[in-house]
Amino acid sequence: MSNDPDKVWPTGLTLKEAEEVHSYLIDGTRVFGAIALLAHVLVAVSTPWLG
Amino acid sequence: MASLRDSALRKIQTIGPRFLPFADVATEAVPLSRLLRLSLFQVTVGMALVLLVGTLNRVMIVELGVPATLVGVMIALPLVFAPFRALIGYKSDTHRSALGWRRVPYIWRGTMLQFGGFAVMPFALLVLSGYDQAADAPIWIGHSAAALAFLLVGAGIHTVQTVGLALATDLVGVEEQPKVVGLMYVMLLLGMIGAALIFGWLLEPYTPGRLIQVVQGAAVITVALNLIALWKQEPRDRARAANVQTQPEFRDAWRLFVQGRSAVGLLVVIALGTMGFGMADVVLEPYGGQVLNMAVGATTRLTAVLAAGGLLGFAIASRVLLNGVAPVQVAWWGTLIGLPAFALIIAAGPLEVVTLFVIGTGLAGLGAGLFGHGTLTATMRAAPRAQVGLALGAWGAVQATAAGIAVGLGGVIRDVIAALPAAPSMRPEAPYTPVFALELAFLIATVAVLVALRHREAGLFQTTHYHQRQGRPERPTAYIDPQPRERRPTGEEPHDDSRLTAL
Repeated sequence: MSNDPDKVWPTGLTLKEAEEVHSYLIDGTRVFGAIALLAHVLVAVSTPWLG
Repeated sequence: MASLRDSALRKIQTIGPRFLPFADVATEAVPLSRLLRLSLFQVTVGMALVLLVGTLNRVMIVELGVPATLVGVMIALPLVFAPFRALIGYKSDTHRSALGWRRVPYIWRGTMLQFGGFAVMPFALLVLSGYDQAADAPIWIGHSAAALAFLLVGAGIHTVQTVGLALATDLVGVEEQPKVVGLMYVMLLLGMIGAALIFGWLLEPYTPGRLIQVVQGAAVITVALNLIALWKQEPRDRARAANVQTQPEFRDAWRLFVQGRSAVGLLVVIALGTMGFGMADVVLEPYGGQVLNMAVGATTRLTAVLAAGGLLGFAIASRVLLNGVAPVQVAWWGTLIGLPAFALIIAAGPLEVVTLFVIGTGLAGLGAGLFGHGTLTATMRAAPRAQVGLALGAWGAVQATAAGIAVGLGGVIRDVIAALPAAPSMRPEAPYTPVFALELAFLIATVAVLVALRHREAGLFQTTHYHQRQGRPERPTAYIDPQPRERRPTGEEPHDDSRLTAL
Protein backbone atom coordinates (compact mmCIF):
# COMPACT_ATOMS: atom_id res chain seq x y z
CA MET A 1 0.00 0.00 0.00
CA SER A 2 1.01 3.58 -0.21
CA ASN A 3 3.41 4.98 2.32
CA ASP A 4 3.02 8.57 1.22
CA PRO A 5 0.78 10.19 3.84
CA ASP A 6 -0.40 12.70 1.29
CA LYS A 7 -1.57 10.06 -1.17
CA VAL A 8 -4.89 8.32 -1.03
CA TRP A 9 -4.68 4.87 -2.45
CA PRO A 10 -5.75 2.93 -4.47
CA THR A 11 -6.06 5.79 -6.90
CA GLY A 12 -2.78 7.56 -6.17
CA LEU A 13 -4.56 10.87 -5.92
CA THR A 14 -3.40 13.37 -3.38
CA LEU A 15 -5.73 14.14 -0.50
CA LYS A 16 -6.78 17.42 -2.08
CA GLU A 17 -7.51 15.81 -5.40
CA ALA A 18 -9.56 13.09 -3.79
CA GLU A 19 -11.50 15.67 -1.82
CA GLU A 20 -12.25 17.55 -4.99
CA VAL A 21 -13.55 14.47 -6.78
CA HIS A 22 -15.67 13.78 -3.73
CA SER A 23 -17.01 17.33 -3.67
CA TYR A 24 -18.54 16.86 -7.13
CA LEU A 25 -20.44 13.87 -5.81
CA ILE A 26 -21.61 15.81 -2.74
CA ASP A 27 -22.66 18.84 -4.79
CA GLY A 28 -24.48 16.62 -7.24
CA THR A 29 -26.38 14.95 -4.40
CA ARG A 30 -27.36 18.31 -2.91
CA VAL A 31 -28.63 19.65 -6.22
CA PHE A 32 -30.46 16.41 -6.83
CA GLY A 33 -32.09 16.64 -3.40
CA ALA A 34 -33.18 20.25 -3.91
CA ILE A 35 -34.63 19.42 -7.32
CA ALA A 36 -36.50 16.42 -5.94
CA LEU A 37 -37.92 18.55 -3.11
CA LEU A 38 -39.14 21.21 -5.54
CA ALA A 39 -40.64 18.59 -7.85
CA HIS A 40 -42.52 17.03 -4.93
CA VAL A 41 -43.92 20.39 -3.86
CA LEU A 42 -45.16 21.06 -7.39
CA VAL A 43 -46.76 17.63 -7.68
CA ALA A 44 -48.43 18.16 -4.31
CA VAL A 45 -49.88 21.44 -5.56
CA SER A 46 -51.54 19.87 -8.59
CA THR A 47 -52.42 16.42 -7.23
CA PRO A 48 -52.24 16.47 -3.42
CA TRP A 49 -51.67 13.17 -1.67
CA LEU A 50 -52.19 12.18 1.97
CA GLY A 51 -55.52 13.93 2.26
CA MET B 1 -11.27 -11.28 9.33
CA ALA B 2 -8.09 -9.30 8.82
CA SER B 3 -7.06 -11.40 5.84
CA LEU B 4 -10.49 -10.94 4.28
CA ARG B 5 -10.10 -7.23 4.67
CA ASP B 6 -6.63 -7.30 3.20
CA SER B 7 -7.66 -9.25 0.17
CA ALA B 8 -10.64 -6.98 -0.38
CA LEU B 9 -8.39 -3.96 -0.20
CA ARG B 10 -5.93 -5.54 -2.60
CA LYS B 11 -8.80 -6.17 -5.00
CA ILE B 12 -9.82 -2.54 -4.84
CA GLN B 13 -6.25 -1.49 -5.41
CA THR B 14 -6.12 -3.29 -8.74
CA ILE B 15 -9.06 -1.25 -9.90
CA GLY B 16 -6.97 1.87 -9.59
CA PRO B 17 -7.74 5.10 -11.36
CA ARG B 18 -9.32 3.31 -14.29
CA PHE B 19 -12.68 4.31 -12.88
CA LEU B 20 -11.90 7.94 -12.32
CA PRO B 21 -13.23 10.44 -14.76
CA PHE B 22 -10.04 12.02 -16.01
CA ALA B 23 -7.59 11.28 -18.75
CA ASP B 24 -4.26 10.49 -17.13
CA VAL B 25 -2.00 11.98 -19.72
CA ALA B 26 -2.56 14.58 -22.36
CA THR B 27 -2.28 12.47 -25.46
CA GLU B 28 -0.76 14.03 -28.51
CA ALA B 29 -3.40 13.04 -31.02
CA VAL B 30 -6.99 12.67 -29.89
CA PRO B 31 -8.64 9.94 -31.94
CA LEU B 32 -11.83 10.69 -33.83
CA SER B 33 -13.82 8.25 -31.70
CA ARG B 34 -13.01 10.30 -28.61
CA LEU B 35 -14.00 13.54 -30.31
CA LEU B 36 -17.18 11.88 -31.47
CA ARG B 37 -17.90 10.91 -27.87
CA LEU B 38 -17.19 14.45 -26.68
CA SER B 39 -19.55 15.87 -29.28
CA LEU B 40 -22.45 14.07 -27.56
CA PHE B 41 -22.88 17.15 -25.37
CA GLN B 42 -24.04 18.97 -28.48
CA VAL B 43 -26.76 16.33 -28.92
CA THR B 44 -28.12 17.19 -25.47
CA VAL B 45 -27.95 20.90 -26.26
CA GLY B 46 -29.82 20.34 -29.52
CA MET B 47 -32.37 18.20 -27.73
CA ALA B 48 -32.91 20.86 -25.07
CA LEU B 49 -33.31 23.59 -27.70
CA VAL B 50 -35.91 21.59 -29.62
CA LEU B 51 -37.76 20.75 -26.45
CA LEU B 52 -37.93 24.41 -25.39
CA VAL B 53 -38.52 26.16 -28.67
CA GLY B 54 -40.41 23.48 -30.56
CA THR B 55 -42.09 20.75 -28.57
CA LEU B 56 -42.97 22.49 -25.30
CA ASN B 57 -43.90 25.67 -27.17
CA ARG B 58 -46.59 23.70 -28.98
CA VAL B 59 -47.65 21.60 -25.99
CA MET B 60 -48.05 24.65 -23.75
CA ILE B 61 -50.20 26.51 -26.27
CA VAL B 62 -52.22 23.68 -27.79
CA GLU B 63 -52.55 21.01 -25.11
CA LEU B 64 -52.10 23.00 -21.90
CA GLY B 65 -53.91 26.14 -23.08
CA VAL B 66 -51.36 28.57 -21.64
CA PRO B 67 -51.69 32.07 -23.17
CA ALA B 68 -49.31 32.49 -26.13
CA THR B 69 -47.74 35.66 -24.70
CA LEU B 70 -46.85 33.89 -21.46
CA VAL B 71 -45.38 31.00 -23.46
CA GLY B 72 -43.35 33.47 -25.50
CA VAL B 73 -41.96 35.08 -22.35
CA MET B 74 -41.08 31.70 -20.81
CA ILE B 75 -39.29 30.53 -23.94
CA ALA B 76 -37.37 33.79 -24.20
CA LEU B 77 -36.17 33.52 -20.58
CA PRO B 78 -33.11 31.31 -21.28
CA LEU B 79 -31.88 34.07 -23.58
CA VAL B 80 -31.31 36.22 -20.50
CA PHE B 81 -28.25 34.12 -19.70
CA ALA B 82 -26.73 34.21 -23.18
CA PRO B 83 -24.49 37.27 -22.57
CA PHE B 84 -23.11 35.54 -19.46
CA ARG B 85 -21.45 32.95 -21.68
CA ALA B 86 -18.39 35.17 -21.92
CA LEU B 87 -18.20 35.26 -18.12
CA ILE B 88 -18.67 31.49 -17.86
CA GLY B 89 -15.91 30.96 -20.38
CA TYR B 90 -13.62 33.30 -18.48
CA LYS B 91 -14.42 31.53 -15.20
CA SER B 92 -13.51 28.18 -16.70
CA ASP B 93 -10.26 29.61 -18.10
CA THR B 94 -9.22 30.75 -14.65
CA HIS B 95 -10.77 27.94 -12.61
CA ARG B 96 -8.69 26.72 -9.69
CA SER B 97 -8.80 23.02 -9.09
CA ALA B 98 -6.67 20.52 -7.23
CA LEU B 99 -6.90 18.29 -10.27
CA GLY B 100 -5.86 21.02 -12.66
CA TRP B 101 -9.24 20.79 -14.32
CA ARG B 102 -10.76 23.80 -15.98
CA ARG B 103 -13.62 22.53 -18.11
CA VAL B 104 -15.10 19.43 -16.50
CA PRO B 105 -16.37 21.15 -13.32
CA TYR B 106 -18.35 23.63 -15.40
CA ILE B 107 -19.74 21.12 -17.85
CA TRP B 108 -20.80 18.99 -14.89
CA ARG B 109 -22.52 21.91 -13.17
CA GLY B 110 -24.17 22.93 -16.42
CA THR B 111 -25.40 19.38 -16.85
CA MET B 112 -26.87 19.41 -13.34
CA LEU B 113 -28.67 22.69 -14.08
CA GLN B 114 -30.06 21.34 -17.32
CA PHE B 115 -31.11 18.12 -15.62
CA GLY B 116 -32.71 19.98 -12.73
CA GLY B 117 -34.64 22.27 -15.03
CA PHE B 118 -36.06 19.41 -17.05
CA ALA B 119 -36.80 17.36 -13.93
CA VAL B 120 -39.16 19.97 -12.49
CA MET B 121 -40.37 21.39 -15.80
CA PRO B 122 -43.34 19.06 -16.50
CA PHE B 123 -44.77 19.61 -13.01
CA ALA B 124 -44.18 23.34 -13.29
CA LEU B 125 -46.00 23.39 -16.63
CA LEU B 126 -48.91 21.36 -15.27
CA VAL B 127 -49.24 23.73 -12.31
CA LEU B 128 -48.93 26.68 -14.68
CA SER B 129 -51.80 25.38 -16.80
CA GLY B 130 -53.98 24.84 -13.71
CA TYR B 131 -54.05 21.06 -14.06
CA ASP B 132 -56.31 19.24 -11.58
CA GLN B 133 -56.21 21.00 -8.19
CA ALA B 134 -53.47 23.40 -9.23
CA ALA B 135 -56.28 25.66 -10.44
CA ASP B 136 -56.97 26.52 -6.77
CA ALA B 137 -53.32 27.28 -6.01
CA PRO B 138 -52.05 30.85 -6.16
CA ILE B 139 -51.05 31.72 -9.72
CA TRP B 140 -47.54 32.86 -8.76
CA ILE B 141 -46.51 29.29 -7.90
CA GLY B 142 -46.99 28.13 -11.47
CA HIS B 143 -45.41 31.24 -12.95
CA SER B 144 -42.32 31.23 -10.78
CA ALA B 145 -41.80 27.46 -10.98
CA ALA B 146 -42.04 27.44 -14.77
CA ALA B 147 -39.78 30.48 -15.02
CA LEU B 148 -37.25 28.80 -12.73
CA ALA B 149 -37.33 25.60 -14.79
CA PHE B 150 -36.75 27.49 -18.04
CA LEU B 151 -33.98 29.57 -16.48
CA LEU B 152 -32.25 26.46 -15.13
CA VAL B 153 -32.34 24.75 -18.52
CA GLY B 154 -31.14 27.93 -20.24
CA ALA B 155 -28.25 28.41 -17.84
CA GLY B 156 -27.37 24.74 -18.30
CA ILE B 157 -27.38 24.92 -22.09
CA HIS B 158 -25.21 28.03 -22.15
CA THR B 159 -22.69 26.60 -19.69
CA VAL B 160 -22.44 23.16 -21.27
CA GLN B 161 -22.07 24.47 -24.81
CA THR B 162 -19.57 27.21 -24.01
CA VAL B 163 -17.28 25.14 -21.85
CA GLY B 164 -17.75 22.02 -23.96
CA LEU B 165 -16.56 23.85 -27.06
CA ALA B 166 -13.64 25.25 -25.04
CA LEU B 167 -12.70 21.71 -23.99
CA ALA B 168 -12.86 20.54 -27.59
CA THR B 169 -10.60 23.43 -28.60
CA ASP B 170 -8.17 22.50 -25.81
CA LEU B 171 -7.96 18.94 -26.99
CA VAL B 172 -7.08 19.36 -30.65
CA GLY B 173 -4.39 21.12 -32.63
CA VAL B 174 -5.06 24.03 -34.93
CA GLU B 175 -5.21 22.07 -38.16
CA GLU B 176 -7.81 19.73 -36.71
CA GLN B 177 -10.12 22.46 -35.48
CA PRO B 178 -12.24 22.59 -38.67
CA LYS B 179 -12.95 18.90 -38.24
CA VAL B 180 -14.06 19.45 -34.64
CA VAL B 181 -16.24 22.43 -35.52
CA GLY B 182 -17.90 20.45 -38.30
CA LEU B 183 -18.47 17.57 -35.93
CA MET B 184 -19.97 19.84 -33.27
CA TYR B 185 -22.37 21.51 -35.71
CA VAL B 186 -23.43 18.22 -37.26
CA MET B 187 -24.09 16.69 -33.84
CA LEU B 188 -26.12 19.73 -32.79
CA LEU B 189 -28.19 19.47 -35.95
CA LEU B 190 -28.61 15.70 -35.59
CA GLY B 191 -29.62 16.15 -31.96
CA MET B 192 -32.23 18.70 -32.96
CA ILE B 193 -33.64 16.66 -35.83
CA GLY B 194 -33.66 13.42 -33.86
CA ALA B 195 -35.22 15.06 -30.81
CA ALA B 196 -37.92 16.77 -32.89
CA LEU B 197 -38.92 13.49 -34.53
CA ILE B 198 -38.76 11.40 -31.34
CA PHE B 199 -40.57 13.90 -29.11
CA GLY B 200 -43.26 14.41 -31.74
CA TRP B 201 -43.77 10.66 -31.96
CA LEU B 202 -43.72 10.08 -28.17
CA LEU B 203 -46.21 12.84 -27.37
CA GLU B 204 -48.82 11.42 -29.72
CA PRO B 205 -51.37 10.96 -28.15
CA TYR B 206 -50.76 13.54 -25.48
CA THR B 207 -51.48 12.84 -21.82
CA PRO B 208 -50.13 14.72 -18.79
CA GLY B 209 -48.39 11.52 -17.70
CA ARG B 210 -46.72 11.21 -21.08
CA LEU B 211 -45.50 14.81 -20.86
CA ILE B 212 -43.86 14.05 -17.50
CA GLN B 213 -42.24 10.90 -18.87
CA VAL B 214 -40.91 12.58 -21.98
CA VAL B 215 -39.47 15.69 -20.32
CA GLN B 216 -37.96 13.78 -17.40
CA GLY B 217 -36.63 11.22 -19.85
CA ALA B 218 -34.90 14.08 -21.62
CA ALA B 219 -33.42 15.10 -18.25
CA VAL B 220 -31.99 11.63 -17.66
CA ILE B 221 -30.67 11.39 -21.22
CA THR B 222 -28.96 14.76 -20.72
CA VAL B 223 -27.03 13.52 -17.70
CA ALA B 224 -26.24 10.16 -19.30
CA LEU B 225 -24.96 11.57 -22.60
CA ASN B 226 -22.96 14.33 -20.94
CA LEU B 227 -21.33 11.85 -18.57
CA ILE B 228 -20.36 9.65 -21.51
CA ALA B 229 -19.12 12.71 -23.37
CA LEU B 230 -17.01 13.96 -20.46
CA TRP B 231 -15.50 10.71 -19.23
CA LYS B 232 -11.71 10.77 -19.34
CA GLN B 233 -11.58 13.72 -21.71
CA GLU B 234 -9.79 16.42 -19.79
CA PRO B 235 -6.36 15.43 -18.54
CA ARG B 236 -5.38 15.85 -14.92
CA ASP B 237 -2.76 18.55 -14.72
CA ARG B 238 -0.70 18.67 -11.54
CA ALA B 239 1.50 21.43 -12.95
CA ARG B 240 -1.48 23.69 -13.43
CA ALA B 241 -2.90 22.79 -10.03
CA ALA B 242 0.41 23.59 -8.33
CA ASN B 243 0.83 26.78 -10.30
CA VAL B 244 -1.28 29.02 -8.12
CA GLN B 245 -1.00 32.50 -9.48
CA THR B 246 -3.15 35.55 -9.42
CA GLN B 247 -5.60 35.43 -12.24
CA PRO B 248 -6.62 38.61 -14.04
CA GLU B 249 -9.99 40.14 -13.36
CA PHE B 250 -12.68 39.60 -15.96
CA ARG B 251 -12.36 43.20 -17.11
CA ASP B 252 -8.62 42.84 -17.73
CA ALA B 253 -9.04 39.48 -19.43
CA TRP B 254 -11.72 40.97 -21.65
CA ARG B 255 -9.53 43.95 -22.52
CA LEU B 256 -6.71 41.60 -23.46
CA PHE B 257 -9.13 39.58 -25.57
CA VAL B 258 -10.56 42.50 -27.54
CA GLN B 259 -7.05 43.72 -28.27
CA GLY B 260 -6.58 40.54 -30.26
CA ARG B 261 -6.52 40.64 -34.01
CA SER B 262 -9.98 41.58 -35.27
CA ALA B 263 -11.69 40.08 -32.22
CA VAL B 264 -14.36 42.77 -32.15
CA GLY B 265 -14.74 42.87 -35.92
CA LEU B 266 -15.32 39.14 -35.92
CA LEU B 267 -17.95 39.43 -33.19
CA VAL B 268 -19.78 42.12 -35.19
CA VAL B 269 -19.72 39.88 -38.25
CA ILE B 270 -21.10 36.98 -36.19
CA ALA B 271 -23.90 39.13 -34.76
CA LEU B 272 -24.98 40.58 -38.12
CA GLY B 273 -24.66 37.32 -40.04
CA THR B 274 -26.51 35.30 -37.42
CA MET B 275 -29.34 37.84 -37.47
CA GLY B 276 -29.35 37.66 -41.26
CA PHE B 277 -29.57 33.89 -41.45
CA GLY B 278 -31.58 33.26 -38.30
CA MET B 279 -34.71 35.29 -38.85
CA ALA B 280 -36.12 32.98 -41.50
CA ASP B 281 -36.31 29.94 -39.21
CA VAL B 282 -39.81 30.52 -37.94
CA VAL B 283 -41.33 32.24 -40.99
CA LEU B 284 -40.18 29.90 -43.79
CA GLU B 285 -42.84 27.26 -43.13
CA PRO B 286 -45.83 29.61 -42.85
CA TYR B 287 -44.56 31.48 -45.92
CA GLY B 288 -44.58 28.25 -47.89
CA GLY B 289 -48.01 27.33 -46.58
CA GLN B 290 -49.84 30.66 -46.80
CA VAL B 291 -48.19 32.33 -49.78
CA LEU B 292 -47.14 29.42 -51.97
CA ASN B 293 -49.98 27.12 -50.88
CA MET B 294 -47.68 24.25 -50.01
CA ALA B 295 -49.25 21.35 -48.08
CA VAL B 296 -48.28 20.68 -44.45
CA GLY B 297 -46.06 17.73 -45.39
CA ALA B 298 -44.32 19.85 -48.02
CA THR B 299 -43.54 22.65 -45.56
CA THR B 300 -42.07 20.08 -43.15
CA ARG B 301 -39.85 18.86 -45.95
CA LEU B 302 -38.80 22.48 -46.35
CA THR B 303 -37.14 22.29 -42.94
CA ALA B 304 -35.39 19.16 -44.17
CA VAL B 305 -34.13 21.08 -47.23
CA LEU B 306 -32.82 23.83 -44.95
CA ALA B 307 -31.07 21.28 -42.71
CA ALA B 308 -29.63 19.42 -45.71
CA GLY B 309 -28.24 22.71 -47.03
CA GLY B 310 -26.69 23.31 -43.63
CA LEU B 311 -25.11 19.85 -43.51
CA LEU B 312 -23.68 20.35 -47.00
CA GLY B 313 -22.31 23.70 -45.86
CA PHE B 314 -20.60 22.11 -42.83
CA ALA B 315 -19.12 19.36 -45.02
CA ILE B 316 -17.78 21.79 -47.62
CA ALA B 317 -16.45 24.13 -44.93
CA SER B 318 -14.64 21.28 -43.12
CA ARG B 319 -13.07 20.14 -46.37
CA VAL B 320 -11.81 23.50 -47.62
CA LEU B 321 -10.67 24.59 -44.16
CA LEU B 322 -8.62 21.41 -43.78
CA ASN B 323 -7.00 22.40 -47.09
CA GLY B 324 -5.91 25.64 -45.50
CA VAL B 325 -8.51 28.14 -46.70
CA ALA B 326 -8.93 30.92 -44.13
CA PRO B 327 -12.08 30.53 -41.98
CA VAL B 328 -13.11 34.13 -42.56
CA GLN B 329 -12.96 33.43 -46.29
CA VAL B 330 -15.44 30.57 -45.81
CA ALA B 331 -17.74 32.83 -43.80
CA TRP B 332 -17.48 35.35 -46.63
CA TRP B 333 -18.62 32.75 -49.17
CA GLY B 334 -21.48 31.80 -46.90
CA THR B 335 -22.67 35.39 -46.67
CA LEU B 336 -22.41 35.83 -50.44
CA ILE B 337 -24.51 32.69 -50.98
CA GLY B 338 -27.09 34.05 -48.54
CA LEU B 339 -27.73 37.12 -50.70
CA PRO B 340 -29.18 35.34 -53.77
CA ALA B 341 -30.86 32.83 -51.46
CA PHE B 342 -33.09 35.42 -49.81
CA ALA B 343 -33.57 37.26 -53.12
CA LEU B 344 -34.94 34.00 -54.57
CA ILE B 345 -37.20 33.49 -51.54
CA ILE B 346 -38.58 37.03 -51.86
CA ALA B 347 -39.12 36.61 -55.60
CA ALA B 348 -40.83 33.24 -55.20
CA GLY B 349 -43.88 34.81 -53.49
CA PRO B 350 -45.13 37.21 -56.17
CA LEU B 351 -44.05 34.85 -58.98
CA GLU B 352 -45.67 31.90 -57.18
CA VAL B 353 -42.90 29.50 -58.16
CA VAL B 354 -42.35 26.87 -55.49
CA THR B 355 -39.10 25.65 -57.08
CA LEU B 356 -37.48 29.07 -56.63
CA PHE B 357 -38.50 29.05 -52.99
CA VAL B 358 -37.10 25.56 -52.36
CA ILE B 359 -33.81 26.43 -54.10
CA GLY B 360 -33.61 29.64 -52.08
CA THR B 361 -34.21 27.73 -48.84
CA GLY B 362 -31.50 25.19 -49.67
CA LEU B 363 -29.07 27.97 -50.52
CA ALA B 364 -29.92 29.79 -47.28
CA GLY B 365 -29.10 26.58 -45.37
CA LEU B 366 -25.86 26.18 -47.30
CA GLY B 367 -24.86 29.79 -46.67
CA ALA B 368 -25.73 29.54 -42.98
CA GLY B 369 -23.70 26.34 -42.69
CA LEU B 370 -20.63 27.88 -44.31
CA PHE B 371 -21.02 31.07 -42.30
CA GLY B 372 -21.48 29.32 -38.97
CA HIS B 373 -18.59 26.92 -39.51
CA GLY B 374 -16.28 29.64 -40.78
CA THR B 375 -16.95 32.06 -37.94
CA LEU B 376 -16.67 29.44 -35.18
CA THR B 377 -13.43 28.09 -36.62
CA ALA B 378 -12.11 31.63 -36.91
CA THR B 379 -13.01 32.22 -33.25
CA MET B 380 -11.24 29.05 -32.14
CA ARG B 381 -8.19 29.84 -34.18
CA ALA B 382 -7.96 33.42 -33.01
CA ALA B 383 -8.34 32.47 -29.35
CA PRO B 384 -5.14 32.73 -27.33
CA ARG B 385 -4.59 29.34 -25.70
CA ALA B 386 -5.11 30.76 -22.22
CA GLN B 387 -8.34 32.49 -23.23
CA VAL B 388 -10.09 29.75 -25.16
CA GLY B 389 -13.07 29.76 -22.81
CA LEU B 390 -13.47 33.51 -22.92
CA ALA B 391 -13.22 33.58 -26.72
CA LEU B 392 -15.78 30.82 -27.19
CA GLY B 393 -17.95 32.41 -24.52
CA ALA B 394 -17.91 35.66 -26.45
CA TRP B 395 -18.77 33.78 -29.64
CA GLY B 396 -21.63 31.98 -27.91
CA ALA B 397 -22.92 35.11 -26.21
CA VAL B 398 -23.09 37.01 -29.49
CA GLN B 399 -24.35 34.07 -31.52
CA ALA B 400 -27.05 32.93 -29.08
CA THR B 401 -28.28 36.46 -28.39
CA ALA B 402 -28.39 37.34 -32.08
CA ALA B 403 -30.16 34.10 -32.99
CA GLY B 404 -32.72 34.58 -30.22
CA ILE B 405 -33.42 38.18 -31.15
CA ALA B 406 -33.59 37.27 -34.84
CA VAL B 407 -36.16 34.52 -34.33
CA GLY B 408 -38.24 36.72 -32.05
CA LEU B 409 -38.00 39.72 -34.37
CA GLY B 410 -38.94 37.65 -37.43
CA GLY B 411 -42.07 36.36 -35.74
CA VAL B 412 -43.05 39.74 -34.32
CA ILE B 413 -42.65 41.61 -37.64
CA ARG B 414 -44.80 39.06 -39.40
CA ASP B 415 -47.49 39.07 -36.70
CA VAL B 416 -47.61 42.87 -36.47
CA ILE B 417 -48.04 43.33 -40.21
CA ALA B 418 -50.57 40.51 -40.41
CA ALA B 419 -52.56 42.17 -37.61
CA LEU B 420 -52.72 45.57 -39.34
CA PRO B 421 -56.28 46.72 -40.16
CA ALA B 422 -55.31 46.89 -43.82
CA ALA B 423 -53.96 43.33 -43.76
CA PRO B 424 -56.89 41.58 -45.47
CA SER B 425 -56.51 43.74 -48.57
CA MET B 426 -52.74 43.15 -48.79
CA ARG B 427 -51.09 40.51 -50.91
CA PRO B 428 -50.47 37.27 -48.98
CA GLU B 429 -46.68 37.74 -49.01
CA ALA B 430 -46.93 41.25 -47.50
CA PRO B 431 -46.21 40.15 -43.88
CA TYR B 432 -43.24 38.04 -44.99
CA THR B 433 -41.38 40.15 -47.53
CA PRO B 434 -40.18 42.73 -44.95
CA VAL B 435 -38.71 39.90 -42.83
CA PHE B 436 -36.74 38.45 -45.73
CA ALA B 437 -35.75 41.94 -46.90
CA LEU B 438 -34.44 42.69 -43.41
CA GLU B 439 -32.41 39.48 -43.51
CA LEU B 440 -30.99 40.60 -46.83
CA ALA B 441 -30.11 43.96 -45.26
CA PHE B 442 -28.33 42.25 -42.37
CA LEU B 443 -26.36 40.08 -44.80
CA ILE B 444 -25.37 43.14 -46.84
CA ALA B 445 -24.19 44.77 -43.59
CA THR B 446 -22.19 41.58 -42.86
CA VAL B 447 -20.58 41.80 -46.28
CA ALA B 448 -19.72 45.45 -45.62
CA VAL B 449 -18.04 44.64 -42.30
CA LEU B 450 -16.17 41.73 -43.88
CA VAL B 451 -14.93 44.01 -46.65
CA ALA B 452 -13.76 46.51 -44.05
CA LEU B 453 -11.99 43.72 -42.16
CA ARG B 454 -10.34 42.50 -45.34
CA HIS B 455 -9.24 46.02 -46.08
CA ARG B 456 -7.67 46.36 -42.65
CA GLU B 457 -6.22 42.90 -42.26
CA ALA B 458 -5.57 41.22 -45.57
CA GLY B 459 -3.93 38.28 -43.79
CA LEU B 460 -7.31 37.35 -42.36
CA PHE B 461 -8.37 36.01 -45.74
CA GLN B 462 -5.14 34.32 -46.76
CA THR B 463 -5.00 30.64 -47.51
CA THR B 464 -2.51 28.72 -45.43
CA HIS B 465 -0.60 25.79 -46.80
CA TYR B 466 0.29 23.24 -44.21
CA HIS B 467 3.50 22.23 -45.90
CA GLN B 468 5.01 20.55 -42.95
CA ARG B 469 2.74 18.98 -40.43
CA GLN B 470 2.70 21.18 -37.39
CA GLY B 471 2.89 19.95 -33.88
CA ARG B 472 0.31 20.70 -31.29
CA PRO B 473 0.39 24.27 -30.17
CA GLU B 474 2.14 24.32 -26.84
CA ARG B 475 -0.04 24.11 -23.81
CA PRO B 476 -0.16 27.26 -21.79
CA THR B 477 1.51 26.94 -18.43
CA ALA B 478 1.08 30.54 -17.45
CA TYR B 479 -1.91 32.74 -17.99
CA ILE B 480 -0.02 35.17 -20.16
CA ASP B 481 2.40 33.78 -22.69
CA PRO B 482 5.86 35.32 -22.54
CA GLN B 483 5.06 36.81 -25.89
CA PRO B 484 1.32 36.92 -26.33
CA ARG B 485 0.25 36.82 -29.90
CA GLU B 486 -1.81 39.93 -29.70
CA ARG B 487 1.07 41.95 -28.39
CA ARG B 488 3.46 41.02 -31.12
CA PRO B 489 4.13 44.01 -33.31
CA THR B 490 2.24 43.50 -36.53
CA GLY B 491 4.32 43.11 -39.62
CA GLU B 492 7.06 41.30 -37.75
CA GLU B 493 5.21 38.10 -37.24
CA PRO B 494 7.40 35.06 -37.22
CA HIS B 495 6.94 32.97 -40.31
CA ASP B 496 6.82 29.71 -38.49
CA ASP B 497 3.70 30.67 -36.56
CA SER B 498 1.17 29.56 -39.10
CA ARG B 499 -1.61 30.20 -36.64
CA LEU B 500 -1.20 33.86 -37.37
CA THR B 501 -1.31 33.59 -41.10
CA ALA B 502 -4.06 31.04 -40.88
CA LEU B 503 -6.26 33.45 -39.07
